[in-house]
Amino acid sequence: MKSTGGAALLAASGGLATPALSQGAAAKTLRFVPQANLANFDPIWGTQYVVRNAAALVWDTLYGVDDSLVPQRQMVEKEEVSADGLVWTFKLRAGMKFHDGTPVLAKDAVQSLVRWSQRDPMGLMLRALQNELVAVDDLTFRWALKKPYPKMLLALGKNNAPCTFIMPARIAETDPFKQITEYIGSGPMKFKKEEWVPGAKAVFERFADYKPRDEAASWLAGGKKMMVDRIEWVIMPDPATASAALQNGEVDWWEQPLPDLVPVLKGNRNISVDIADPLGNIGAFRMNHLHAPFNNVKARRAVLAAMNQEDFMRAVVGDDTKLWKPLPGFFTPDTPLYTESGGEILKMKSLDAAKKLLAESGYAGQPVTCVVAQDQPITKSMGDVTADLLKKMGMTVDFVATDWGTVGARRAQKTPPGQGGWSMFHTWHAGADCLNPAPYTAIRGNGEKAWFGWPDSPETEKYVSSWFDAKDLTEEKAAIAALNKAALEDVIFAPTGFFLSYTAWRKNVTGIVKGPLPFFWGVSKA
Amino acid sequence: MFAFIVRRIIATIPVMAFVALFVFSLLYIAPGDPAAVIAGDQATPQDVERIRQGLGLDRPFLIRFGEWLFNVLRGDLGISIFTSLPVTQLIKQRIEPTVSLMAVTLVLAIGIAVPMGVIAAWKAGSWIDRLAMAVSVTGFSVPVFVVGYLLAYIFALQLDWLPVQGYTPLSQGVWPWFENLILPAITLGFVYIALIARITRASMLEVLQQDYIRTARSKGVSQPSILFVHALKNAAIPIVTVIGIGIALLIGGAVVTESVFAIPGLGRLTVDAILRRDYPVIQGVVLMFSFVYVLINLLVDLIYTLIDPRIRY
Repeated sequence: MKSTGGAALLAASGGLATPALSQGAAAKTLRFVPQANLANFDPIWGTQYVVRNAAALVWDTLYGVDDSLVPQRQMVEKEEVSADGLVWTFKLRAGMKFHDGTPVLAKDAVQSLVRWSQRDPMGLMLRALQNELVAVDDLTFRWALKKPYPKMLLALGKNNAPCTFIMPARIAETDPFKQITEYIGSGPMKFKKEEWVPGAKAVFERFADYKPRDEAASWLAGGKKMMVDRIEWVIMPDPATASAALQNGEVDWWEQPLPDLVPVLKGNRNISVDIADPLGNIGAFRMNHLHAPFNNVKARRAVLAAMNQEDFMRAVVGDDTKLWKPLPGFFTPDTPLYTESGGEILKMKSLDAAKKLLAESGYAGQPVTCVVAQDQPITKSMGDVTADLLKKMGMTVDFVATDWGTVGARRAQKTPPGQGGWSMFHTWHAGADCLNPAPYTAIRGNGEKAWFGWPDSPETEKYVSSWFDAKDLTEEKAAIAALNKAALEDVIFAPTGFFLSYTAWRKNVTGIVKGPLPFFWGVSKA
Repeated sequence: MFAFIVRRIIATIPVMAFVALFVFSLLYIAPGDPAAVIAGDQATPQDVERIRQGLGLDRPFLIRFGEWLFNVLRGDLGISIFTSLPVTQLIKQRIEPTVSLMAVTLVLAIGIAVPMGVIAAWKAGSWIDRLAMAVSVTGFSVPVFVVGYLLAYIFALQLDWLPVQGYTPLSQGVWPWFENLILPAITLGFVYIALIARITRASMLEVLQQDYIRTARSKGVSQPSILFVHALKNAAIPIVTVIGIGIALLIGGAVVTESVFAIPGLGRLTVDAILRRDYPVIQGVVLMFSFVYVLINLLVDLIYTLIDPRIRY
């Protein structure tokens, strides 16, 4: 900001103006606009991405995936697994401290894992296989299982929420369905609870006693060296305001600019714009498998046969073709398990074929209750395209325009669409959650226990199990190819395409890396 | 007078009770589920249900309402579902920016609108009058957010005179505090200026036709004195009424203005709470706004007695 006449006048007249921070302090403060409001701060209780992103600053994890998607040791110094694969023994690094000054001990890790494993899909699997999870000594704990679990390190290091964030045992004893009220971790930054104004600001301060690993940082792995003393998350619900604030130098980094505003930012010589996360997002709409017309697989297939993913993607991210691609499958493109097996139906784009399938399904003009959140640009755009598509197919559309909070509640209703239920809703999944079936709850076909829409597909479930039991990448690839095919045949859900988003920052900020969450270690500000 | 004040304060109790019941009932039947928002998009229906139970949202309406009302009567507005912070603390965190914004807006609006209305009435039919009324119509016609974006674009982005967003507490200096409020106050005050200016003009036109104004003129009283001492005081009752009513406009407008300028005030707290279905926060804020509004009406009634000695309660 330039100095103003008004400021000079007040200063001259003995005004009380004093800068909140000195120049040096300001340079060491990174002001960041997150994708959403940090409304709560318990990364196990609330699994929103924004909570996970903030939590990664405050709580450390036992393992962390690097940019090759391989879990690496983080808080763990070494691990051993018995020859039969049933007993895992983990030793923590010595000298780690929590923000309250107490040492990080094995009992803290054990209690944190107990809480995590009641909320996380992989954790729940581990609990089902568990014989015991105990601290052996101050730095060692043991996890004994009834059956080998080859994906153990992935479970402990994945970046999908909820992550295995380690808390002091006394805090981790909190019921996982109730919120913690003390935010003490052993990560590189401390959370300044007294400065937290939910909906407006969250502040993190460098933890002087944090001991980063020696390796170079790579996503959640390696040495998390902080180059700034203070990070301020400034919540801005209005994208135009965030854009103006970034251009004016009032904030340093905007996590997720609206695609419409990106050209303006790219035109500013002080701002850098780049793809935020190469793993991107997968657009989706889910059909209700419990009620007509989508309780008939032919009706679901009819929708897949008719849809043109390009229409959806252009509606979501516009005409910048670098930002999207069609996705004839369910898994994240350009990752090891990506497959298009069974994806032919998504390449048909044939209304005639769709109408034929729909007729074979016995569709008799029942209204399709399409619940669309209007306050989320992504769901709104996709909802408009879907409604048009269904009408072209000859379906009767009951378009329910509402907000995301209502969609969240309504999609849990199993009652028929005319009685408060639904036929279809739209959403999207982070590509990082769609690398494999472990965190990918949306791909499951386990009926009553499945995600909203409750698809019952034993064939899909068979290949999910195959992937969990796979011993190497070849076996994993085979399982995922079969899974993709089965899930498309039963139409677990409809993928609408793969899309990327941008992130933008001032050019005096360096060290920002592409990844599934904003990584603050290594980021510095001149 | 004292008895009147006491009677009016007592009369607020049934009003507040009705507001409490109305808001609680409305939220109870409104669609949406905070548990689903908390659980995140990947949560299973079982997770959502467990969280709902944890929050006590599965309990019957009467039990929840009774518990909440009992706590409110003890001055406890409850705990935010999302932040686990007391609602009173959240309101306390947000009250300064909103009060500051409204105070600056009020001073700015009255300072501009009343002289504008007085002069427009004095010069009725002239180009000054037409200009003042054109400004007024524009104020009514242009949405608050358009004014906000336009001002931010010109004065922050292009001229770099003022910040785009944010709020600096008064404790950190008068200028930093004021600097952040200039654009939001002009934005919020635009429609308010229009309203007050029009009422002032209409009221003044009527008063300026009165015999005592003619008498004052014939006695050689100066024009400013006639306008601002003799006429304005007698035209003030409708103006004060509109200013009081306009506070509700300000409260509504603050929601938009605080979003556009990223001011961490009560308006944004309310919007965020509604979007997330944070019931205790919505109930607390609405109850507080209702109480403030009732008090403002009382204050307006009391100001009448100062302006017009004939009014007695």
